[in-house]
Amino acid sequence: MTQGKTGTELAEPPKKPVTVSINGNAYRADEGECLLTVAERVKIPIPHFCFEQSLEPYGACRLCMVGVVHHGKTVMETACTLRAKEGLTVLTDTPDIVKYRTILFELYLAEAPKSAVVKEMAARYGVTKTRFLRRVDTGDPLGGACILCGLCVRVCNEIMGAGAINFINRGPYTVVNTPFTEPSRDCYGCGACAAVCPTHAVSLEDRGGERILHSWSETKVPLSQCVSCGKYFAPAALEKSVLSRIEPPLRDDLEGLCPACRAKKLAKKEILAATGGDPGDA
Amino acid sequence: MTGVFDRAAGEVAGQKKILPGKPRIAVGLATCGIAVGGEKVYERLQEIIKKTGVDISLAKTGCIGYCREEPLVNITIPGKPLVILHKVTEEDAEGIVEAVKKGTVPYKKALCRVPSWDHVTGTVITYGNGFDEIPLYADIPFFKHQKKVILRNAGFINPEDIDEYLAVGGYAAAEQALTRMDSETIISEVEKSGLRGRGGAGFPTGMKWRITRDAPGAAKYIICNADEGDPGAYMNRNEMESDPHMLIEGMIIGAYAIGAKEGLIYIRAEYPLAIRRLVHAIGEARALGLLGKDIIGAGFDFDIRIATGAGAFVCGESTALVASIEGRTGRPHPRPPRLTDPGGGLWGIPSDLNNVETWCNIPVIIRNGSGWYAKIGAEKNAGTKVFSLVGKVDRVGLVEVPLGTSLNTIVCDIGNGGAQGKKVKAVQTGGPSGGCIPVRLFDTPVNYESLNAVGSIMGSGGIVVMDEDTDMVDIARYFINFATGESCGKCVPCREGLRHTLILLNRLIARKGTAKDLETLALLADTIKNTSLCGLGQSAPNPVLTTLAYFREEYDALVKP
Repeated sequence: MTQGKTGTELAEPPKKPVTVSINGNAYRADEGECLLTVAERVKIPIPHFCFEQSLEPYGACRLCMVGVVHHGKTVMETACTLRAKEGLTVLTDTPDIVKYRTILFELYLAEAPKSAVVKEMAARYGVTKTRFLRRVDTGDPLGGACILCGLCVRVCNEIMGAGAINFINRGPYTVVNTPFTEPSRDCYGCGACAAVCPTHAVSLEDRGGERILHSWSETKVPLSQCVSCGKYFAPAALEKSVLSRIEPPLRDDLEGLCPACRAKKLAKKEILAATGGDPGDA
Repeated sequence: MTGVFDRAAGEVAGQKKILPGKPRIAVGLATCGIAVGGEKVYERLQEIIKKTGVDISLAKTGCIGYCREEPLVNITIPGKPLVILHKVTEEDAEGIVEAVKKGTVPYKKALCRVPSWDHVTGTVITYGNGFDEIPLYADIPFFKHQKKVILRNAGFINPEDIDEYLAVGGYAAAEQALTRMDSETIISEVEKSGLRGRGGAGFPTGMKWRITRDAPGAAKYIICNADEGDPGAYMNRNEMESDPHMLIEGMIIGAYAIGAKEGLIYIRAEYPLAIRRLVHAIGEARALGLLGKDIIGAGFDFDIRIATGAGAFVCGESTALVASIEGRTGRPHPRPPRLTDPGGGLWGIPSDLNNVETWCNIPVIIRNGSGWYAKIGAEKNAGTKVFSLVGKVDRVGLVEVPLGTSLNTIVCDIGNGGAQGKKVKAVQTGGPSGGCIPVRLFDTPVNYESLNAVGSIMGSGGIVVMDEDTDMVDIARYFINFATGESCGKCVPCREGLRHTLILLNRLIARKGTAKDLETLALLADTIKNTSLCGLGQSAPNPVLTTLAYFREEYDALVKP
């Protein structure tokens, strides 16, 4: 734990290769690598909902619990928060894990009865029924498919920096939505929330010149129209935010163009440069 | 170097307040005393003294812990023992002043007399002799099995006057630590004392200090966890309301040993009087050079700030507590990183978090030595522990006993068994995270390991007594309902599992449950315990698991055959 005084000045040290054991087989991994990533790479299935490579491990869905064998004792830990180190020995299907995972899947089936993803994943682990009372909420903007893994909240806050949605209430009353369930002024309309949602619960649609985020209090964001072809192609606020991070010559080239027209324009420019200004057969 | 702090001067001034050379009437005014009318008694006494112009000193004190007998009033007549009056009302005020004027006390209202009181840290206050008809403090059953170390000053000194704390040996330990000890000596004293965390988990305090001190980086924080949220638990509240300087002194010593320049007290907003008294005490300590720059002239800078919670039980969990101080939602994250790790503490700085009572143990350890302290209590469970003895028990109150004392002594000898002569059936220790222990296991010594072995926990020290009329399934439902409402909602076993536990319990109590439901209940409770992210979820099913283990017949009786 103690670092040398020059520790912070050094470049990131090369990753040390280590051997970890999963279900009795040895695998190579980098020291400190997330065990869930290692298992995914070597195609050992460990169920999970709340894990995403680009975000810090969150440890909330509890499905990725594995048994860590240490001095003959097996302790359960979440694979997403486990770090690879030499000699790490884990088991993914101990009787305890199977027992608890079954109950967790049943809880998810009751919490998000409308989610096909949850049903499919649970079925893969032999759970097709739940003994718990199913949640019924006909007005749920997430269509009865949200399992509160928090990925949408984290991606909106930590990666997009928008902070348009967050958790509301606590305990079993927790929901995700915009503040005061009013249309958000902070939302870029980027749709990252929908992209990361493991249960495809987030509903949004592009209608005319607007993107409507049905799940987030019907937040509406204007879309930019391509100056060349007239197609709506991206949320205006997102376009502005992205363009602000690009250097002027390129920015001026790209501004107002949809991806297809952008490609055309850039290609044309390259060809013009290569052929010395003669468009030729291009 | 000479600092502004002059302990001797404060000590003399304080002694003149405790023994003013004229009669002193002191009203117990912690929240509990105020709730049963103590403030009205105080105001009435003030009015009478002012009107009659009699030369009596009127003061406020904290609470000695005998809740059932409140409001409590102390009378000190020069040369006579201190007399504690009980169940005092406004109507009694006139009689009290009349008696005191004549150099006596109203015998009918007297609970006990205290000829002298040992404030443990080297000071014994001798009041005097006489009033032999009034029983001695040590003969009162509620008091005689107790050992007052943490509560040594509670109910005797004015918590709003630093001079009175100085008069009973206060800040002598801080002075000793800062001027004559180094970090290593202090930490090794705390380690040798055997003190373990009083928040419930029982982690060795000295080791936690050492880990924080040795963590990388020069900056460190110390934090006091005053987010006491267990239903029926109020040890920390009384410790802060009755003797706030003891906590501050403990934190000064800890900060010096760990190398922290800043300390925070995270206290629940539901404790307004404790907050007010702490703010006042911190101000007094600053004025005397005990907080701020160059404390006690020892060249050490340290100050304390107060952060208030917004009413969430889960914020007593260390990572949620830090999130709450930082202004984020109080949701726990998986450990490591722990608070003591770089990046894991407050604002990412390695931090030492201790419970109020843990900090309160520090001055006496430094003052009397680790050897003295280690002799109190039991093997691997040194020291005393304060418990709030509540529920259906005859003598409700705050009880301090050496660790290792049996539940029997606490509930039957000190508490005198069930209220109104009813038979005691069980106790719940450790609040919603604890378990119910049946009367047949009352010879269990109260220490960290033995309570765990019977399925409960020490917790912060709440003991709720249940009598023969108590429905144990309903008790389990009460605690599960509490935990469900206090779950942060982050992980599924706690958020959804507790909700379904509550649904199952409600179904059973409505006599609509089946044997299958009972099976599901046990399996679900087991799952929540073993798969939840933080301590709240991991311990929340304990009331169900222990009542299932010890009172299974009550569950079976609810199930249709």
